Amino acid sequence: MEKLTEYFDTKDDVSLGKLLKEVENQTPISFEILKHSSMRKGKAHIVGITGPPGSGKSTLVSKLCKQLAAKNFDIGVVCIDPTSPFTQGALLGDRIRMQELAKTPNVFIKSLATRGNLGGLAASTADIVQVLDAYEKDIILIETVGVGQVELDVLGVADTVVLVNVPGLGDTLQTLKAGIMEIANLYVINQADRPGANESVKDLNMMVRESGKTDWKPPILKTMATKEEGIEDLIDQIFQHKNHLEISGIWKEKRQIRNIDRLNSMIQSLLSSKVEEYIKKEVVWQRKVQEVREGKADPFTVSHEIVNSLVNK
Amino acid sequence: MSNNTTNVNQEKKLFDREVIQEIEAQKEHWQQNTVKGKVGEGQYYSDSGIPVNLLYTPDDIKDIDYLKDIGFSGEAPYVRGVYPNMYRGRLFTVRQIAGFGTPEDTNERFKFLLKNGATGTSVVLDLPTIRGYDSDDPEGEGHVGAAGVAIDSIEDVEALYDGIPIDEISSNIVTHLPSTTVVVMAMFAAMAEKKGIPLEKLSGTNQNDFLMETAIGSSLEVLPPKASFRLQCDAIEYASKNLPRWNPVSYNGYNLREAGTTAVQEVACAIANAIATSEELIRRGNKIDDFAKRLSFFWNLFNDFFEEIAKCRASRLVWHEVMKERFNAQETKSHLMRFHVQTAGITLTKVEPLNNIARSAIQGLAAVLGGAQSLHVDSYDEAYSAPTEESALISIRTQQIIQAETNVVNTVDPLAGSYFVEKLTQEMAQRIRDYIAEIESKGGLVSVVESGWLHREISDFAYEMQKDIESGKHKIVGLNYFPTEQRNTKVEVFRYPESAEKRQKEKLEKLRQKRDQAKVEAAINVLREKCHEDVNLMPYIKDAVLAYATLGEIEEVFREEFGLWQFPLA
Amino acid sequence: MQVKVVMAKLGLDIHWRGALVVSRMLRDEGMEVVYLGNQFPEQIVDAAIQEGADVIGLSTLGGNHLTLGPKVVKIAQEKGVDALIIMGGVIPEDDIPLLQEAGIAEVFGPETRIESIAEFIRSKVKNSIA
Repeated sequence: MEKLTEYFDTKDDVSLGKLLKEVENQTPISFEILKHSSMRKGKAHIVGITGPPGSGKSTLVSKLCKQLAAKNFDIGVVCIDPTSPFTQGALLGDRIRMQELAKTPNVFIKSLATRGNLGGLAASTADIVQVLDAYEKDIILIETVGVGQVELDVLGVADTVVLVNVPGLGDTLQTLKAGIMEIANLYVINQADRPGANESVKDLNMMVRESGKTDWKPPILKTMATKEEGIEDLIDQIFQHKNHLEISGIWKEKRQIRNIDRLNSMIQSLLSSKVEEYIKKEVVWQRKVQEVREGKADPFTVSHEIVNSLVNK
Repeated sequence: MSNNTTNVNQEKKLFDREVIQEIEAQKEHWQQNTVKGKVGEGQYYSDSGIPVNLLYTPDDIKDIDYLKDIGFSGEAPYVRGVYPNMYRGRLFTVRQIAGFGTPEDTNERFKFLLKNGATGTSVVLDLPTIRGYDSDDPEGEGHVGAAGVAIDSIEDVEALYDGIPIDEISSNIVTHLPSTTVVVMAMFAAMAEKKGIPLEKLSGTNQNDFLMETAIGSSLEVLPPKASFRLQCDAIEYASKNLPRWNPVSYNGYNLREAGTTAVQEVACAIANAIATSEELIRRGNKIDDFAKRLSFFWNLFNDFFEEIAKCRASRLVWHEVMKERFNAQETKSHLMRFHVQTAGITLTKVEPLNNIARSAIQGLAAVLGGAQSLHVDSYDEAYSAPTEESALISIRTQQIIQAETNVVNTVDPLAGSYFVEKLTQEMAQRIRDYIAEIESKGGLVSVVESGWLHREISDFAYEMQKDIESGKHKIVGLNYFPTEQRNTKVEVFRYPESAEKRQKEKLEKLRQKRDQAKVEAAINVLREKCHEDVNLMPYIKDAVLAYATLGEIEEVFREEFGLWQFPLA
Repeated sequence: MQVKVVMAKLGLDIHWRGALVVSRMLRDEGMEVVYLGNQFPEQIVDAAIQEGADVIGLSTLGGNHLTLGPKVVKIAQEKGVDALIIMGGVIPEDDIPLLQEAGIAEVFGPETRIESIAEFIRSKVKNSIA
């Protein structure tokens, strides 16, 4: 484990790449990495970029990085693409739209496949972000899958959520309305030179007003990512939101909630694996499980019996 | 020519209505009694996915009006050929691409090919040149003089054509991208003028296709489709006014096809590009007949013999329709689809490479039966490296065998009247029209490139084709059909002259020292300004090359002023 | 464990068909393929580091294999990247041993079945720093 500390202390990309690879693959050593990195809390502002396919998220992320990098920010990027449910393979194509970043030293890009996880992120996203944070990134951008469904997972990971849309997606807005529209802290109409941009802004304005948020009124911005227009405003608003989070105490609160969520989920998974082991060890429980399987015993009673027995031990 | 009053149409059909009814009845009988139950009954398809029947008879082409739909060579609708006497009047040009090392190296290969019967030169440029970098640019490392010849300045163009009679034979320059075309064309024209050759005497072709930059080939630094398209049009407009015998564009169906399309998509995209060009040049105040006669095309012929021949015929038909109906072109020459053919590099195999001689010969024959104006037959070793002198010679000999020994050049369009070929020609033409309409319904060719739609079409085709090859559905002799035992054939490969990069860099270094730097900067600055005006850039580029500005310096202006574009792949 | 491949067109090479088709088919073989498009050796290695790639796939048709291929290997070694480096494209038979000597694990010609590339990768790749 001393080696691990070294990996964290060197702070070079090669070490970070190796750590992230373990975490991504959830190898045995990744538990140690996460344990270690969780006490090295950094200062990263975590920004989720979400939106439907074709809205130009990757290009937007690329331009954000370019301008942030020019301002000497140390940036982590996590891009998520879908895993094929048939082959378990994935084509991770976000880097092709971020080619201009290849020679930018302070941008670290990690592409992840969903590996069966629904909700717009890969299962390892939070862990990857945690390690990047421990590596003292200033800002971490997460680009969600964007397959058109409601992708709410990003809420649990990001401090600031940016929802990207393109003009003429009126119907999409309607379907998104119920879910993700409520969660975004910033709205972007990308490719704003296309017809219908002003209408989309108007629609969004109405929706934001109806949602009745008072402490932070989500701004609605127009960008043309391919022409690198509107990016500065967007960066400005992202930082204003961060400012708002800090002043209102939400920043701290969000991190505390995340810590507790993490604890709870660890307890749950730990507990269920302990229970599993316990059942395997004791013939009497195996018999009980078999009875439940055959419908001779009810799962309600048996689950209580097993867990109580384990806890009382 | 076409008397098309509907009520007399019946009389103009190829066959009498009663004859057709009789044939249809007999055919049904034949189908039921003679064919039924025999092997091979089901549906077959051409490479483009057109259903192919077991047998074709007059009823398959019963709706054809010969005079209106097929006609005579040299007359509308030009299905049978663009010139009345076709190859009796002038044989197809034997063109073999050459290009490697320094301009001096390629100049030697030119002379070898001409001595052995090539009737024009055809040069391919190295990747740094195509991509707009000088030989001393770090981006070009490892590529200088490797897959083509390096061109940095007008001095290189002078060396390349030293001792070549450019006022007598045609010069094909495979510039690929519009950004490269405008620079190299300017260098070529300036070089000729310096030699005292009037521009009117220059004949030849540039490739000049914005799809090469934005859809077919990928790169790190790509100009936006609109900018690349503008340069394409600048070169065409300039040549149509100043180089009357020059073909400033060869719409590149070839490389689209190599990347991954059907024969239908290949022709449709190229014609869609010519349509977009025409609209732009008309917007600039030109008349269609000022430039349409200078537009030429570049097809790729695969192994589906009849489909490829039908494609060539159909492409002439559709082009004629576009020029006549859409643009109302008046001059005959504007209606003529002239095209160069190269046999399909991607059909060549690395296993049993000598089989490639047979493939290329069949494809070359199809080109001649399809009425091509010029031909390049791929060399058998192209799956290994650039051709050696020996293999390049076999390619020339293949063409000479078609010209002199087969007698196919003695009569025009000999496959006309084949029920199958005529039916297939009609079917190809319809599918080409439909695909052009699909592109236009999506906003036109520039738009489908910007949106990445065309890239997906190409990528999907290539992916499906690879799956078909691996499953054996698409048969390739020696590979998945009678696969050979002998995997590693010894082929003598062509080696690029190793010192080329060094020699080229030295020349460039000298040039940079001796030229008048203030003059270069002045010319570059003017060009920079003009990029933002609605003017043709060619005269300003020519001024820059005459001041000894390099290709890389000029193209850097484009990259800075037009910006870069992210290739929409995945 | 999922194999992760970083796939790149080497340098200025133009033709993207091969690299993209191979990428899509390796995905069909169950691998995760990060497609870079055209990149130069240094940037390819950087991407492999960030992505934690098990494999670096280089595609070339432009005759730059002997200069840029070994350069990728050299930079990877210098930076301590132990990914399997393979190459595909039109490469003269005689050059293959030279590339292998330089550390390219295998060279695949244009007629290779993608399945056999996948098999080769699976037989060679080891995961984990532990």
